[in-house]
Amino acid sequence: MNAKHPRCAAIEADLVATATGEAGPAAAHRVEEHVERCGPCREDFGRYRAIEGMVGSLRATVSDDRHACERLTVRLGDLRRRRLAYGVFPSPLGSLLIARTEDGVSLVQYLGPEGDVRRSLLGRRPDLDAIEDSLAVEGFYRELLDYLEGRRARLEWPLDLRLARSDFHRGVLRATAAIPYGAVCSYAGIACEVGKPTASRAVAQALRWNPLPIVVPCHRVVGTSGALVGYAGDKVDLKRRLLALEGVMRADGARIPRSTMYVSLPRERCYCLPTCSWIPTAEHPHRFFFFGSRERAEAAGLEPCEDCRPDLHPLAS
Amino acid sequence: MGPETFETVVAAHHPEIHRYLRRLTARASEADDLSQETFLRAYRAFRELPEDANVRAWLFAIATNLFRNHVRSEKRRSTFHAAVLATRSEAAGAGPEGETVYRETRTVIEEVVDALPLKQRTAFVLRKIHELDYETIARTLDCSADSARAHVFQALRKIRHSLNGHPASEASKGEITP
Repeated sequence: MNAKHPRCAAIEADLVATATGEAGPAAAHRVEEHVERCGPCREDFGRYRAIEGMVGSLRATVSDDRHACERLTVRLGDLRRRRLAYGVFPSPLGSLLIARTEDGVSLVQYLGPEGDVRRSLLGRRPDLDAIEDSLAVEGFYRELLDYLEGRRARLEWPLDLRLARSDFHRGVLRATAAIPYGAVCSYAGIACEVGKPTASRAVAQALRWNPLPIVVPCHRVVGTSGALVGYAGDKVDLKRRLLALEGVMRADGARIPRSTMYVSLPRERCYCLPTCSWIPTAEHPHRFFFFGSRERAEAAGLEPCEDCRPDLHPLAS
Repeated sequence: MGPETFETVVAAHHPEIHRYLRRLTARASEADDLSQETFLRAYRAFRELPEDANVRAWLFAIATNLFRNHVRSEKRRSTFHAAVLATRSEAAGAGPEGETVYRETRTVIEEVVDALPLKQRTAFVLRKIHELDYETIARTLDCSADSARAHVFQALRKIRHSLNGHPASEASKGEITP
């Protein structure tokens, strides 16, 4: 590279800028004056102009790749399906985490007093693409709060059971979701509902890992004897509290007083006294739903049985 | 901001970001991977993006960072430059008679651009091919607007010197008046 005259070297940046259309008017004017007098810089100017034109043509030389875009769209779709938006909210039961996918609510979890999301299922599942987005789940939280404060009996949410551990678990969760507000059913009853009458313990396990407590009301599933058995590990108190809220039992009770409860069967349209004549003939002794009151049975859409007439002979409360 | 909005972003910007990366990378598969990664990262961060943000500049910044990291790891494997040269000479095939000089010149320019130091190369491509302003390029490259301008200037200077004695360059002598 030959050494330039100092004046040419000084103006080179402006010259390039002017030739490539990036200089301001003052610089362009200086360059114009200089190249009129300086042959080598005039040539340089011409070359830079030619380069600018050539570079412009490079813009069109890479064509669009539709397939790359399609592949990206597929990946993004996959990512979106894995994405969970969650929020952590205060509640009478402590901090609650609520998470949803685009298909529905997929996780409700009691957090410890410190409300640490890292200790939730989301923290243990790095394959889930979890993002905090309270707004996305706030509506569910409001309804849940209404339920916990006794202002709402139904949580009719779209559910996404992908966090359940198996199809058997999903079947158990669906059968459990059908137990009406204010009623209880036994583990054996749910086992019958999913077509595995001897699988009570497996049902209990499935409910232990219920990713949607309260919404999928596993608190409404109790022992055959009416004992509360377990809830979320060691939270039997919580189960009692929820059942008391629904009017199934007293808040200080130890077991469900089933002999003094109204009875119905899944998918039946009426409810009965526990002494109704058809009850001993039921195909399985544990399939019943038990209601704490006629009001709850009727709120679930059931009518009094025409044989035993629980409306005319109500149980002593 | 919902997923629909991000799909709009993909539709509006993926072709350009892909072209940008295609120009910077040696193999089409690299551009595919990097543009896909650019948008996957953008998707994750999209919710945090202020509503008035310049999405296009933001995507260019992500793409450029990914590309720079990619080059660093490729350099360690030291296959990068060899691959660039191989691809470019393949791409330079013969054209119609009248365009030969023009095409050759363009090939020289492409080769020079490919051999530029990373910052000069990205600054040059962002400015000259994608016409981003210097403020945006500066933010993308994490430097001042003046250094971005200097990178582009140096790139043009190198192209200009590489064309010394080249027919296209000689042909243009004296044709252009200021």
